This record gives sequence, C-alpha cells and structure tokens, in this order.
Amino acid sequence: MTEKKSPMIQVKNLYKVYKVGNSKVYALNGVDFTIYKGEFCAIVGPSGSGKSTLLNMLAGLEKPSKGEIVIGGSHIEKLSENQLVSFRRKHVGFIFQSYNLLQTMNAVENVALPLSFRGVTKKARNEKAKEYIKLVGLEKQMKHMANEMSGGQQQRVGIARALAVDPKIIFADEPTGNLDSKTTREILNLMQKIVREQNQTLVMVTHDNYIAKFADRQFHIVDGKIFKIEEQHHEEQHHEEQQHEDTKEDMGYEEG
Amino acid sequence: MKFSDLLSMSVNNLRRRKLRTFLTVLGVLIGTASIVVMVSLGIGFNELTMEQIASYGSLTEVSVYSNAMWGGNESSKDPNYMTDDVIAQFERIDHVDAASPLLETSVLMTQGAYQAYINLVGVSQSYMKNIPLKEGRIPEPGNRDLQMIVGNMVARNFSNPKSNRYGFYDDSSSIPDIDFINRPMFVIFDMDAYYQSQNGGTGEGGTTVKPPKKYLIPTAGLVEGGAEDWNNYSYSVYVDLDALKAQLKQIFKKKPIPNQPTNKKGKPYNYFIYQQAIVEVDDMNNVTAVQKAITDMGFQANSNMEWLEQSQKQAKMVQALLGGIGAVSLFVAAIGIANTMMMSIYERTKEIGILKVLGCDMNNIRNMFLLESGFIGFLGGITGILFSYGVSFLINRFLSGRFMSNMPGDLSRIPPWLSLTAVGFAIFVGMAAGFFPALRAMKLSPLAAIRNE
Ligand SMILES: Nc1ncnc2c1ncn2[C@@H]1O[C@H](COP(=O)(O)OP(=O)(O)OP(=O)(O)O)[C@@H](O)[C@H]1O
Ligand SMILES: [Mg+2]
Repeated sequence: MTEKKSPMIQVKNLYKVYKVGNSKVYALNGVDFTIYKGEFCAIVGPSGSGKSTLLNMLAGLEKPSKGEIVIGGSHIEKLSENQLVSFRRKHVGFIFQSYNLLQTMNAVENVALPLSFRGVTKKARNEKAKEYIKLVGLEKQMKHMANEMSGGQQQRVGIARALAVDPKIIFADEPTGNLDSKTTREILNLMQKIVREQNQTLVMVTHDNYIAKFADRQFHIVDGKIFKIEEQHHEEQHHEEQQHEDTKEDMGYEEG
Repeated sequence: MKFSDLLSMSVNNLRRRKLRTFLTVLGVLIGTASIVVMVSLGIGFNELTMEQIASYGSLTEVSVYSNAMWGGNESSKDPNYMTDDVIAQFERIDHVDAASPLLETSVLMTQGAYQAYINLVGVSQSYMKNIPLKEGRIPEPGNRDLQMIVGNMVARNFSNPKSNRYGFYDDSSSIPDIDFINRPMFVIFDMDAYYQSQNGGTGEGGTTVKPPKKYLIPTAGLVEGGAEDWNNYSYSVYVDLDALKAQLKQIFKKKPIPNQPTNKKGKPYNYFIYQQAIVEVDDMNNVTAVQKAITDMGFQANSNMEWLEQSQKQAKMVQALLGGIGAVSLFVAAIGIANTMMMSIYERTKEIGILKVLGCDMNNIRNMFLLESGFIGFLGGITGILFSYGVSFLINRFLSGRFMSNMPGDLSRIPPWLSLTAVGFAIFVGMAAGFFPALRAMKLSPLAAIRNE
C-alpha cells in the first residue's frame, strides 16, 4: 500500500546537537523516516524528547547539525535563507506551540497576513480569513487583537492562519495544547477534514496519545530517537484516499 | 507582496504602536531641532555681521579724499586737486562703475530764532538716488534751483544764539523744533560777509559791509531714520551738484569761494575742486584693487572693505565655534535617532522571525522596515523643523534684544535649504538606523529571531 504513495518528506540520519556550556545536548540523535503525500502523521513523545526540534527542522526554521531532509525532491538543509522563505510561502503552513500571532494585528488581519505575501488582493484575503476564522469558531473575536484573546483562541487563530493559505504541507506543534477536550475534538476533526479534502500532508507534534490517534501514523520519539512507528486504520477515509491517483505535483521553489 | 499592502502594513505598525512611534519621533525631533537651531545661529550671526557693515555704507563704495586740499601750496608744482578731469580718470579705472564728486561748502541756516552751521554737500544724481528717504523725493535732474535733502539728525545742530545754549542734545525731547518741510529755511552762503556785518566791522576797503543775501531754499526730502538713528547721511544736507555750482558762481562771482583753495597768488581757480569723491566698484572683490589704483594716483582712498575683512575674520571664528557645536550636535542627534530607532527595531526581532516563518519575502521585510523608519525620520524631521522655527522665534524675540541690543535683526535664521537638508538628514539617519538592526534580525534563523526577547 505504501509503495503506491509518493514520498513527500524524507528524513535521513538527522542530528541536532545544541551546545550548552561545555556539554552537548543531542536534541535529535539519528532520525530516519518518510512521510507520504496526503498523510496525517503525528510525532509523539514526552516533553523534551525533541519533537519541536524535529518539526522546526522539517520546516527549515533551523539548520540540522547533520543529515538530510528532502521535501518534494529538494534538500531543505542546503537551501539559503531566501529560498527557505520562498519555500514556506509557497508550500508550508506552520502552527506554533506558542501561537506567535502579530501583536499589532487583530484576528482577521493575522489570518490574512500570509495571503498578502502571496499577492492576494485585500478583498479576497479578508474573505478567506473570515471564512477560516468562522471555521475555527471565532466569529465573535474577529476584531480582537492578539492580546485580547484567550490562549485557546489565539491558538485557533494560529491554526486558521496556517490553513487559510492552502499549503501542501502543514506543520503543527501541539496545535490543541490549550484547548478543552471538546474543542480539541472539533478542531482535529476540522483539520482532518480539510487536509483530506485538499490532499494536504499534515505533520503534528503532540504528547497526548489520544490526540495522536487521529493520525494515520504515529512516530514515537524518545530522547531524540524514533523508537516506534504505529499505523492507525481509519477505514472510511482509506477508501477515499485510494481513489486519489495522484500525479506528482511540482514542488520546485525558485526564489522570489 | 503588493506595494500598497507594504505601505498600509508599515503605517498600521506605526499607528498601533502609538507610544513607541511617538517616542521615536520625539527623539528624531530633538535631534533635528538641535542641529537646525545651531546652524541657524551661525547663519544669523554671519548675515547679521554683513548687514551691520552694509548699514554703515555700501560695501562696493570707495571714498576718495584729496590730501592736498590745504597746505599743498608749499610745493612748487600744482597740488594734486580733485577736479572733473580727475573724476573722469577715476571712472576709467577697471571695475569702476561710476565716480561721483562731492562738493562741500559750509553755510549758515536760520529758521526763526534758531541757527546752525551746516555742511552743504553738492552731489550727483546717482549719489542722491542711494540716499534712503523718509519722506519727499530727490530733486528733478536738471533743475537749476536748489532743493535740499536733509539728514535726519541735522536738527540737532540748531541752537538759539541768544539763549546761549550751544547744545549737545543728549535728550531727544530738547532738540529744537525745526521744520524743514513746512516752515521757511534761510541759507547764507557768504559766511565772511556775514561775520563782518555781524561784528559791525569793515571790509577790505574800510567800507561797511552790508549783510549778505539770505536765500530761501525749499526742502525736497528727509533722510530716513528718527532723531536717534545714525547713518551715513544723518548730519549733512544734500543738494544737486550742478545746481550748487551754479548757485555758488552766481553768489561769489570772481571772489574766492569758501572751502575752495586758491592759487599761490590767492586767486581762486576757475574750476571747482572737490574735497571728496565716491567711487562705485562693480564687485566687492575688486574694491581693494580699485582702492590701490586710486592711492597710486596720489589720493587718499578709504572703503568699508578693510573693516569688513577684519569683521569677517571675527565672524569666521565665531562661525567655526558654532560650526563645531553644530557638528557635535549633529553627531549627538544622529546617535540619538539611531538609538531610538534601533531599540524599536530590536524589540521587533521576534516579529521578523514570525514574518519569515509565514513566508514573507526578505526584500519585503527590509522595505517594510525602511518605509517605517523613513516615515519616522520624515515625521521627526518635519516636526523638528516646526519646533526649530518656534525656538528660533523665541531666541529672536527675547534673547537677541537683551544681549545684542546694538545689533538689530534676527540672530537665528532658518533658510529653506536648511529646512530641506534637515528633513533629508532625519530621513536618512532614520532609515540607516532602522536598516541595520532589521538586517541583523533578518540574518538570524527564524527560530532564533522568534526566541529573541
Ligand atoms: N536552543 C536550544 N539550546 C539548547 N538546548 C535546546 C535548545 N532547544 C531545545 N533544546 C533541548 O533540546 C531538547 C528537545 O527540545 P524540544 O523543544 O524539541 O522538546 P519537545 O519535545 O518539543 O518538548 P515539549 O513537549 O515540552 O515541547 C530539550 O532537551 C531541550 O532542552
Ligand atoms: Mg515542543
């Protein structure tokens, strides 16, 4: 079954070493895996195991100490800062563990911001932003500034911001860490639905086994190493997925 | 990213961070204003010096005196008199625009009980045109009748011989009430005859001398200035040169004219000899050369140039001092602007990181920050200029009068080029100061930028 899918993200022998004083911290200690197009993967592990580090490196936010990251055929670790920015603008949506909304903007403006980088007109991007704000259940907080919202609300704005640009890959770092269990389920179902519909690849970091169950595959990571990969069977969705006879999409990221 | 989006984002950023923007603009404002005020003082001082010199007479004027006026008789050859021929020679010197002779003669003027010995000066039309008038106008050229232009301080010379008050009037209210325009002014030219008749004396032939004729001479204009404001023309009475010559010839006929030299036999010359001439030079820079040429001809020549050079040296020293202070304040201002700008950009390192994660093009980020800091520089520059005008006004209003009462005029002057340069400078420093921290933030990896607190 996996042979039929095209690989989206390939990670080979990835290391990240932080120097703290004289000692070295191996945040990632030789990681290998492949994620396929249209897949929903969860990276699971205890606090401090290196989940965020791995995700940041996949999105090109940080350079690995050693190893390869190939996304859609390109070596991420070899791209320049400019090319990385362009790569993220075209293909990546990123959901932060700590929201990272722009403090000087309200909810709608925050969601519309990445669209403006793609040259979308003001009218079109505001419409789209409002649509996604409604999807995450924040129609009443549209005009709230970042510091005028609760942690969970800010987190949902962050999710809407990542989804609104229709990226090929979504990286999510504890996207539901600040939400109650009911909202968590709603948001996860929403993400699952959007990702399935648009055949997007979703990589989500979590320490919660219940949340990880939503994913197709779970990478269990401890002390910077993958020690177990679990597959989950979501029956109805699988039928859908097999109907997609995906043609390989162009994943070039030229600068500009 | 569209430019309009970039612009509205920059403006929004400024609007939403009102306090930060205000403080940064304030920093630029103070920096700009301190430079502008310093430089305006330097400019004001320089211009003030020039104006002061100019107020004592034209800077392109050379006054020529004949040093053979009196007592040249001892030498065998004819003394070096200034005649019409000599005046014509002056005019032929390079760079000389015009030379006007001055014919001076002492007269006695009377009005009512008051009388005064006045220096009556015959001058050319071109000279008369340079006299600033308070009222009236200069006499028509070619008018043979004498008409006077009266200096604004001439009234001080009048006194009442009967009251024995030969006065030096240090109080303007005690200056005799002489009215040149509305009341008749009588002028006696033949002073010898006047004295002799006054003393009841006898003339050369032992005959009693009858008092000389008094002439009623109208006044055409008054020199500008109050009874206290001295200028070059304050103490003299000016008339048309040709009219004066005609008048003198008519009065004295073959007799020697007072103030005119005589030859060895004591006989008058049959032409007029001038005591003084004014030579107009085309440019300030040629004054010294012309002056030298005239001195070489055997005359004494003075101009404001010597004095001007002296004053300019002084002014240059003061300017160097103010320039030094200005340079220091420029430096301090640039550092101040850079400091506030950098602080506000460093605070936003995290924001730059987020923008990079969201895929905002690096050029767009750079342009956004350049726009913002340029805008702050512009706002600060403009308000700084306005503020400088205010300070400049206060300096001129309160300080100039108190410390430099002898110098009328503004001490602080802001010419348009200074305003424009200052705004340009504020924008430039603002942009430069905003650019480098933004560049630094962009070089960081997005994660490092986001973690930056
Ligand atoms: N900048 C850094 N400098 C030094 N050590 C770091 C740095 N960032 C992370 N680490 C270390 O790397 C390890 C992995 O960190 P990481 O943030 O990936 O953990 P995590 O799995 O995301 O944990 P959590 O679930 O709490 O978010 C930790 O031990 C952490 O102390
Ligand atoms: Mg983490």
